[in-house]
Amino acid sequence: MTNELISGWGRTQWVRSQLERASTLDEVRNVVQNAEKKLIPRGLGRSYGDAAQLSGGIAITIDEPVTDPIIADGKTTLSAGYSLDNLLRRIVPKGYFVPVTPGTRYVTLGGALASDIHGKNHHIEGTFSRHIESFAIVTPTGTQLVTENSEPDLFNATSGGMGLTGVVTDMTMKLIPIESAYIKMETARLRDLDETLSTMAGSDHKFRYSVAWIDLMARGSAMGRSVLTRGDHASLSELPPQMASDPLKYEAKALVDAPPFIPNGLLNNITVRAFNELWFRKAPTFRADEITSIASFFHPLDMVGKWNRIYGKKGFLQYQFVLPDGQEEVLRGIIERLSGLQVASFLAVLKRFGPENDGFLSFPKPGWTLALDIPITNAELGNLLDELDRIVLGAGGRIYLAKDSRMSKEVFEEMYPKLDKFKEVKARVDPNNVITSDIATRLSIC
Amino acid sequence: MFDAFRTPDNVLVVGGSSDIGLEIAKALAKRGSSNFLLAGRNIDQMAACANDISSASKSRCQVAVVHYDASHDNSHSHLLAAAKDELKTLDYAIFAVGLLGDQLNDEKDASKAREILDINFTTQAMAILEVANYMKEQGFGQIVVISSVAGVRVRRSNFIYGAAKAGLDGFSMALGDALAGTGVGVTVVRPGFVKTKMTSHLSAAPLSTDAPTVAKATLKATDAEKSSIYVPFAIGIVAGIYRHLPRKIARRVPF
Repeated sequence: MTNELISGWGRTQWVRSQLERASTLDEVRNVVQNAEKKLIPRGLGRSYGDAAQLSGGIAITIDEPVTDPIIADGKTTLSAGYSLDNLLRRIVPKGYFVPVTPGTRYVTLGGALASDIHGKNHHIEGTFSRHIESFAIVTPTGTQLVTENSEPDLFNATSGGMGLTGVVTDMTMKLIPIESAYIKMETARLRDLDETLSTMAGSDHKFRYSVAWIDLMARGSAMGRSVLTRGDHASLSELPPQMASDPLKYEAKALVDAPPFIPNGLLNNITVRAFNELWFRKAPTFRADEITSIASFFHPLDMVGKWNRIYGKKGFLQYQFVLPDGQEEVLRGIIERLSGLQVASFLAVLKRFGPENDGFLSFPKPGWTLALDIPITNAELGNLLDELDRIVLGAGGRIYLAKDSRMSKEVFEEMYPKLDKFKEVKARVDPNNVITSDIATRLSIC
Repeated sequence: MFDAFRTPDNVLVVGGSSDIGLEIAKALAKRGSSNFLLAGRNIDQMAACANDISSASKSRCQVAVVHYDASHDNSHSHLLAAAKDELKTLDYAIFAVGLLGDQLNDEKDASKAREILDINFTTQAMAILEVANYMKEQGFGQIVVISSVAGVRVRRSNFIYGAAKAGLDGFSMALGDALAGTGVGVTVVRPGFVKTKMTSHLSAAPLSTDAPTVAKATLKATDAEKSSIYVPFAIGIVAGIYRHLPRKIARRVPF
């Protein structure tokens, strides 16, 4: 046990918490049932805001196992403390891949379920929880093995439930078989928002993975220009000979760490504009059948460790919302607004979502999701985002809890109509509200 | 809780009808803070302040008022109890109690002098300590203490008030050091001459400022987690020079 100052990935809200570690179900149970303070599970702390922290309380982390996963029938039962990084190193060489990965491999399975994460394949394969057959959860009222059939409400409250229903200790997940550790990728440079939206709406369904990087600093006729990358796992026959000799060789390296002391304002609209210009121009106009590694396709940012430091002491936030299909004009309006104000955002990401799932607080719904990283500047930026929240809400969209660090509880309540069902389950499994977090307090989730 | 912009949800204003306290509260309400507790002696004045804060608010906000008389024993523990009742978390606490007194009369009357010292320093320090300990347990928080340039070098013209502010300033700065690494920050604000109710009978000194300016500078400082600021900035330079003048010369400086 130690007491430390912790924050989310955005490094905005620092609080002191008691950090506890546990490696077995009994140890977790011991912490949960004998806790003198309130607690929240915390994985690798990659949610951007205040979801994986509890000021003045306990943040419990499940130790990462050092054992190899046992895979049978393409399924495996794993500790919630497993990071995707560790897991991929162990399963890719065996010919398996995780069903859903976010843009970083430094998340735990527990965190992935709590945020009900999505990846580049959401439009085809849905969120993380759709690939979970069962999980074991320690709640203040007991320990249960939960499947979607046995306990649908607890399953759906926990999928995307931000860790607030209990501490998930392990889960059984369906893996996907792969023939190689490579992706066959297609890259297209799209000159404006119209082309971006029509290309994605028109042909994303032909690709398992798809995501567009949008230059939000581009104005005028170039507004909404993007680099769209799409692909699928390469089969053995698609590999060039030198790769085919060792097709499942998995390499994922963090090359350097960002230095610890970086002044506020390094990323401003001039530097970001220059970066975006370069990034856009370095992409080919169109290139198909390129073979690239899993790490560079899915997790390019992981090459720089602790890259959140580049935003300086004030930190940054990620604004991610979804707008339903048919709300393209609203999306255009928001992008116009951001590009007009030159909000310094690099690597804004646009992606299509497939069907909504049953998670009570799950984020995705069919349509478009845009995610942008923004350095914290001043409260005016907060006002702008509050306005955008209202626009998103009015169009039937919502904000992703795993990224949020600033929305209002009124907006949150309206965006998540199944909140009442979540609260019902929460009151049943944790009547004294022992498990809570800073985001839960801020948004009055429970 | 704080949001990513360090805008708090819950705000305590001690010296609930002070002009500076009110302006900071209004500025926070404008940014989205939703719950306020004003603590002070004058309920009527605080009720008027509550209205001002509500009208400044960006969305819905609630303002509660509690009677707090720093001259009573245990007032600091009543203050904390009220804060716990009214506010879900204690995010941002502003200590803006100030009593200027009347130097030339007060220095002839030890009990009057004591009142000035108590209100500006002793009882306020106790309340700050109480809140600081609570925030430390809570794991985060921001304390704002309204000090004064009068405390940088105590002057003959208001040495009772100045000494109290000097004490408060030193106390708060070192408390900030003590709280390093706890998630709780202390920001000491040292305004020059501020045109407020408290100073309305005086003629404005050079580099004078007003309460909204102090409020704006205060929020900027707490956003950046600064330990102290002068308002306006230039008064800090003046005070810094004045502080090191030989006493014989300083005595002749006419303010």
